[in-house]
Amino acid sequence: MLNRTTEYDAIVVGSGVSGGWAAKELTEKGLKVLILERGVELQHGIDYLGEHAPDWKIPFNGKPNREVETEDYPIQSKNYAFSEATKHFYNNDRKNPYIRHDEKPFDWFRADVVGGRSLLWGRQVYRLSKQDFEANEVENIEIPWPVTYDEIAPWYSYVEKYVGVSGQAEGLKQLPDSEFLPPMEMYALEKTVKQRLAEKEPKIPMTIGRVAILTKNHNGRAACHYCGPCQRGCSTGSYFSSHSSTLPAARATGNLTLRANSVVEELVYDKDTGRVSEVRVIDAQTGERLSFSAKIFFMCASTIGTAQVLLNSKSESFPDGLANSSGTLGKYLMDHMLTGGGIGVFLDDMDSYHYGNRPNGIYIPRFRNLDGQDEDADFIRGYGYQGSALRLGWISKINEKGFGAKLKETLRKPGINVFAISGFLECLPQASNRVTVDPTRLDRFGIPQVSVKFDWSENEYKMQADVNTQADRIMKAAGAVYIINQESEHMTDNPVGGSGIHEMGTARMGDDPATSVLNKHNQAHDVANLFITDGSFMTSSSCVNPSLTYMAFTARACDYAVKQLAAGKI
Amino acid sequence: MKRREFLECAALIVGGMSAAQTGLALTQEQKVYLASAPDYISRAANLFSVEQRFLIDNFCEIIIPQTDTPGAIRAGVPKFIELMVAEWLNDEERSIFLTGLESIPVYTAKEFGKGITDLSQAEMLEILESLEDAASNDPWYGFGNMEGAFGEKHKSPFICQLKELTIWGFFTSEVGSKQVLRYNPMPMEFKGDIPLEDEDSAWAGKML
Repeated sequence: MLNRTTEYDAIVVGSGVSGGWAAKELTEKGLKVLILERGVELQHGIDYLGEHAPDWKIPFNGKPNREVETEDYPIQSKNYAFSEATKHFYNNDRKNPYIRHDEKPFDWFRADVVGGRSLLWGRQVYRLSKQDFEANEVENIEIPWPVTYDEIAPWYSYVEKYVGVSGQAEGLKQLPDSEFLPPMEMYALEKTVKQRLAEKEPKIPMTIGRVAILTKNHNGRAACHYCGPCQRGCSTGSYFSSHSSTLPAARATGNLTLRANSVVEELVYDKDTGRVSEVRVIDAQTGERLSFSAKIFFMCASTIGTAQVLLNSKSESFPDGLANSSGTLGKYLMDHMLTGGGIGVFLDDMDSYHYGNRPNGIYIPRFRNLDGQDEDADFIRGYGYQGSALRLGWISKINEKGFGAKLKETLRKPGINVFAISGFLECLPQASNRVTVDPTRLDRFGIPQVSVKFDWSENEYKMQADVNTQADRIMKAAGAVYIINQESEHMTDNPVGGSGIHEMGTARMGDDPATSVLNKHNQAHDVANLFITDGSFMTSSSCVNPSLTYMAFTARACDYAVKQLAAGKI
Repeated sequence: MKRREFLECAALIVGGMSAAQTGLALTQEQKVYLASAPDYISRAANLFSVEQRFLIDNFCEIIIPQTDTPGAIRAGVPKFIELMVAEWLNDEERSIFLTGLESIPVYTAKEFGKGITDLSQAEMLEILESLEDAASNDPWYGFGNMEGAFGEKHKSPFICQLKELTIWGFFTSEVGSKQVLRYNPMPMEFKGDIPLEDEDSAWAGKML
């Protein structure tokens, strides 16, 4: 039984970073919008169950709930943000399985609530650079981006002004400045490291992290109160999430309908009109089957979720999945390899401490292969480091020998001063890194499960070695008295694909419909009323955190789509 | 009215409409506001015998004693340990812990020729020190070991379990956080570079 309902102007699938933006932009332009979100309803503030809970209120005083993690969240619990205070945001891996291959493993981190991963993201925001957009073309890797930095730059500004990005302008061509709110302060040791790098390694810049957290009141949202664990949710809306920002804006127009518990099964293609005509949905709680129609459809379900829906949307016209005449849908899955780096122990600034919990670190932008290929580099592209100074506390001293007052004294005081950095590596697109669906393995809704195969390329492995070499160079220049290089551990224990939680690229954009799914406006080459604005569209991955780019392209695509609608072209 | 209670009331008022429209997401069972929940150690524990409780009380107070600030007993650490051993340790770990604990009276009788209630504090400390000496090669004591006593790959001996649970329970307790460490859940501002005096404690909050 199919229950057909009212027509909307636009349907947005997913309510995370991209879906929230699509809903805001489209409703503000006057469209009646329906968001379909497979996760459960969640209300801003009210459902942040772990917010501001002290350690002694959390089950096991914060030790992980191992039984639940093993049974229900074996993948999700690998995420640093997963705890008893956040687990209600996460996907239950047992109830919602996907096909993971031991020889080409991929960890798929998913939220299962309205707002998606905008609740859980790391909130770091960086623009891609001109070099990033040109790299594929210059190096003849896969296909060129159809969009230039200059084309997207105004849209970066547009979303940044709304989001509120704290950071320091540096004038670096490899890391274009955003529209900034005041930067957060560095720790004393970070200031020391920055100064020594400027003296000894002037080509290695360091800046405070650029972060979607408010350092002053902004757009009706309160400045950060520096409580610390953002991932538990923020009822003052001080970090950007769909709940704090885009969904309230969309609701304020009176044009938004949001339907939670709505698992999208497929998009239905009408070959007579050459358009998507409706979306088929299963209610996750009641099992009811529903159908909704609209003029335009925005897929914002995350790159794997979107690929799954489109690959499952088979028709006579598109036997291999909707909008897949190129055969590239589901291919070229990318992530960032988070690996390597170093930890330096310092004797500097031991008489300095901090007040408040800074939800941010420092950033060392890419400095390799900037002006053509570095002579000593056997890889292309580059990486950035994210890091922080840290005064180690009692947890890191828990295994001290001894008993009594002396032990207590050691444990209660701030410990050694370390500066730690870890690499975020660009990942090249490869056709073999691929999302498919398996009609022989159905989920609890009867939908073919998604299968993900992923492996790093030779380039990433070569870069990984360099990440450790250069981290050593940085720590020496910075004056570390002892360096723990993560090389040995990380070279033998490679990160699993997906663990960067920056998965992207399964419906890439390009000028040539034969080799790409989307055109430069995030519009499917094959289907004029279908837009994809989550990470799927990424033609290359850069090495910077991608969410800001998804926001900018989403806003731009909405602008284009509405103009096309008005012109009668869709 | 506390902020959390206010939010809960607000949820009921505002939720009247939205709950009917959308169906509230989380079941009542799931909807526990941790900030207003009872302390973890307020749960009932019934694993240890009177004799075992006597030993745990004494041992954890020797590990983290009362000084000019409260020690482990005042912070409720014995209860934390009993709860964790009962419901957080897996069978293998629990067996290590309980075997370790049960060996103490036997050891005491053999080494000191008396029962545990007759032990002096110095003798109690001697027992712990001899356990630590015997375990000193365990990876738990390794520099930079962050896996702890309850790792997937390695299970540490009783003394490491006891110390880890004591220290964890103490510095995540309300007493330990507020009276030994410094607790400030709502700093309102961030300063990255302020003077640290010799006697200053670290900030509480294990997440940080």
